[in-house]
Amino acid sequence: MSAIAAILLVLATAMLAAGLAYRLALWLAAPVPLSIPTMPAPLTRGGAAMRVGREMLLFHSLFRADKPLWAASMAFHLGLALVLLRHLRYVVAVPPAWLVAIQPVGRLAGWMMMAGLLFLLARRLLVPRVRMVTRTGDVAVLVLLLAIGTSGLVTTYLLHTDILAVKAFLTSIWRAAPEGLPPDPTFLLHLLLAILLLAIVPFSKLLHAPGLVFSPTRNQPDGSRRYRRPARWARTLAGGGQ
Amino acid sequence: MDAAYQVDGKTVAHDEEGYLTDIGQWNEAVAGIIAEAEGLPMTAERWEVVNFLREYYQEYQIAPAVRVLTKAIGKKLGPEKASNKYLYELFPYGPAKQACKIAGLPKPTGCV
Amino acid sequence: MSAFEPPPLADEVELAAPPALVPGAMAHSRPYVAAPAHNQALGFPGERVPDWERRAVEKLGELLERSRALRVFLDSCVKCGACADKCHFFIGTGDPNNMPVARQDLLRALYRRHFTVAGRMLGRHVGARDMDEALLQEWYTYFHQCTQCRRCSVFCPFGIDTAEISMAAREIMDAIGLGQKYSNEIIGKVHKIGNNLGLPEPALANTLEGLEEDVLEQSGAAVKFPLDVHGADVLLVTPSADFFAEPHVDGLIGYAKVFHQAGISWTLSSHASEAANFALFIGSYEQMHKIAQRIRQAAIDLGVKRIVFGECGHAWRVAYAFLNTLAGPWDFLDPAYPVPQHIVEVTHELIRRGGIVLDRDTNAGKTVTFHDSCNVARASRMGDAPGGQFVLPREVIKAAVPSFVDMHPDTTHDRTFCCGGGGGLLTDDLLELRIKGARPRMQALKEVVEQQGVTHMAAICAICKTQFAKVLPAYGFPMEMVVSLHQLVGQAIRLG
Repeated sequence: MSAIAAILLVLATAMLAAGLAYRLALWLAAPVPLSIPTMPAPLTRGGAAMRVGREMLLFHSLFRADKPLWAASMAFHLGLALVLLRHLRYVVAVPPAWLVAIQPVGRLAGWMMMAGLLFLLARRLLVPRVRMVTRTGDVAVLVLLLAIGTSGLVTTYLLHTDILAVKAFLTSIWRAAPEGLPPDPTFLLHLLLAILLLAIVPFSKLLHAPGLVFSPTRNQPDGSRRYRRPARWARTLAGGGQ
Repeated sequence: MDAAYQVDGKTVAHDEEGYLTDIGQWNEAVAGIIAEAEGLPMTAERWEVVNFLREYYQEYQIAPAVRVLTKAIGKKLGPEKASNKYLYELFPYGPAKQACKIAGLPKPTGCV
Repeated sequence: MSAFEPPPLADEVELAAPPALVPGAMAHSRPYVAAPAHNQALGFPGERVPDWERRAVEKLGELLERSRALRVFLDSCVKCGACADKCHFFIGTGDPNNMPVARQDLLRALYRRHFTVAGRMLGRHVGARDMDEALLQEWYTYFHQCTQCRRCSVFCPFGIDTAEISMAAREIMDAIGLGQKYSNEIIGKVHKIGNNLGLPEPALANTLEGLEEDVLEQSGAAVKFPLDVHGADVLLVTPSADFFAEPHVDGLIGYAKVFHQAGISWTLSSHASEAANFALFIGSYEQMHKIAQRIRQAAIDLGVKRIVFGECGHAWRVAYAFLNTLAGPWDFLDPAYPVPQHIVEVTHELIRRGGIVLDRDTNAGKTVTFHDSCNVARASRMGDAPGGQFVLPREVIKAAVPSFVDMHPDTTHDRTFCCGGGGGLLTDDLLELRIKGARPRMQALKEVVEQQGVTHMAAICAICKTQFAKVLPAYGFPMEMVVSLHQLVGQAIRLG
């Protein structure tokens, strides 16, 4: 049992890493032949990086677009980030003080994440224009996240699992014979679904996370009257100016 | 797709929008038929515009700018008629396009 | 006499309320297909190529390798719907395919099917579709219901720009022999004659002579409209509509008066007698490059020191953001000036340092508002600081008229609504769409007309001006309400 789980986990992590690396390679191989930031844009590279940062951390454009959606999205993403941070204690041998300190916050974040997800799912199913653009895959990702969250909360509050055993398992997966996976069904479900999530990131819309960093409308500075940027494929065109 | 006007038993081809495909096929009877299709009876004033467009086109291979047209019409019909507004009264869809169509000229293209 | 009568505007401005969904509401709206000759003039197949389905996929693959934006945008959408109610065409028509996300999905369907693992394995469950006649017809219909105004990209949390997607889709359609008549015919005219109108050099010269007579008669000043003058300081590149249409020509008179009064020597070029570059609309870098070369050639041939662009929205996008890459480097021009400059930058600077003096009283009785053109607002800049494209035009207008009022902030600056005629849609065969798409702007205009007594709306784009002249009457406003920004300047400037 432990061995199977370990293999799946390693496999999923490998898929995540390889899939992302492949996707990023495709993105980076393609040039941005023209200057296309959504204006007004910062004038410097540093300013553009700040803009991307503002989008990543504060969801600035989404805030301008739709306040309730922004709130739900923030609740989910921030909740998820805190929950993941909390999970560090299952792999760090001796948790530092801050990690111990955020454990209650992390538990709260679990509820915040679930509330955000439920709002997103309800919105997707109930708002006609959002429902119109929804495919099975869009609902499936939300359901998967909800299931991971639910099983996590159940193990946290109702059907406790042997955390020390989990920790022993996670720190031993690199050994030939991993050990100690607790046989609690809820926990196993949680682990399995999380593994599935890791594996599908590079093949699904979860690519939006790296996508934001590479989005030319957000990461390009406004400097087109100062800098030229002819792409390699464009330099072969006839005429002056190349 | 393309259709044709029927004029005195002859067919005169036009494009999707009613502009003649061959401006050489234009004559006054054709103008009357196109104007009829546009719902505009050919009055003396409309003829002034159409004739000026054709003269200008003969010389320059393009319809005149709206301002050139208003000035010319002002000279012919009186200064009170030298206005874009008056031309729109004559050709409600816009003098450049609708009058060109009746005059058998190509449609002015671009942001106009 | 419009083909379509829109329902009256609401009494209350309800900018926030998204419309009810009306599936298929605009399924009938398609522009005329280009004739074989129009396509061939641009090097595209005249008619649908035999294995067009395969060719479309292949072309998409080529575009993916040429543009990171396309790849990232096709991969990143989460269908959050933040863009859905931001598009003027969705607001004006209720057609769900006019939600930017749905429009993107028409191209994303083919991308997912052929270029992603999930799409190959899961098909329709992840929105993948094969190329077939039905999909192609949806492309032709709905990618010609996008003015590429970028309003959706302002609100997208990932900055996905539907303009890039619709440009790619149109490029694919051109590659399989399905071009749009309006854009392709016009681009052909630029290659052949030098401008969108097809205005030959003698006609241009005659028109400019007429304008000199008009201005002399009206103002007593011998303002020149020079054409092909070698050794002039400034090459003015302006949309050919400025030579032809109303109120565009009043803007051209305004530029001429500014140059005259400031003592700047300038010239127009009969070779580059067009600022517009419709190749942007069809997404063709090659065509855009070819058109841009005319400006480089004219600048070299005439030996000018500066290049200034007249009032044209998408042209200023191409000029500001692309021209340096497409036709630079501009090291043979005077390095003291940015290349290119916008006429509003020139006029603004002259007002600031007293090079020209404007008299507001000459525009007495006018209360003016300003329509931010989409391409100027969201794809370019003026002046030295970000957002100058919003500040400079307003400052120039305020210097020229006694009373200025802004429209609702949800409809100005980078949140401005497109006029409804941009992106190659300013054609009579799309009039119903254009009238419906203008609705959000008309609604905001109604508010300032009724509450603040606005009499005129200034614009700095040839497309906007023509579009408004056409759609204002449909919403009960006089056509003369739209004015060129430099028309106000030309009225107010003290000559002599």
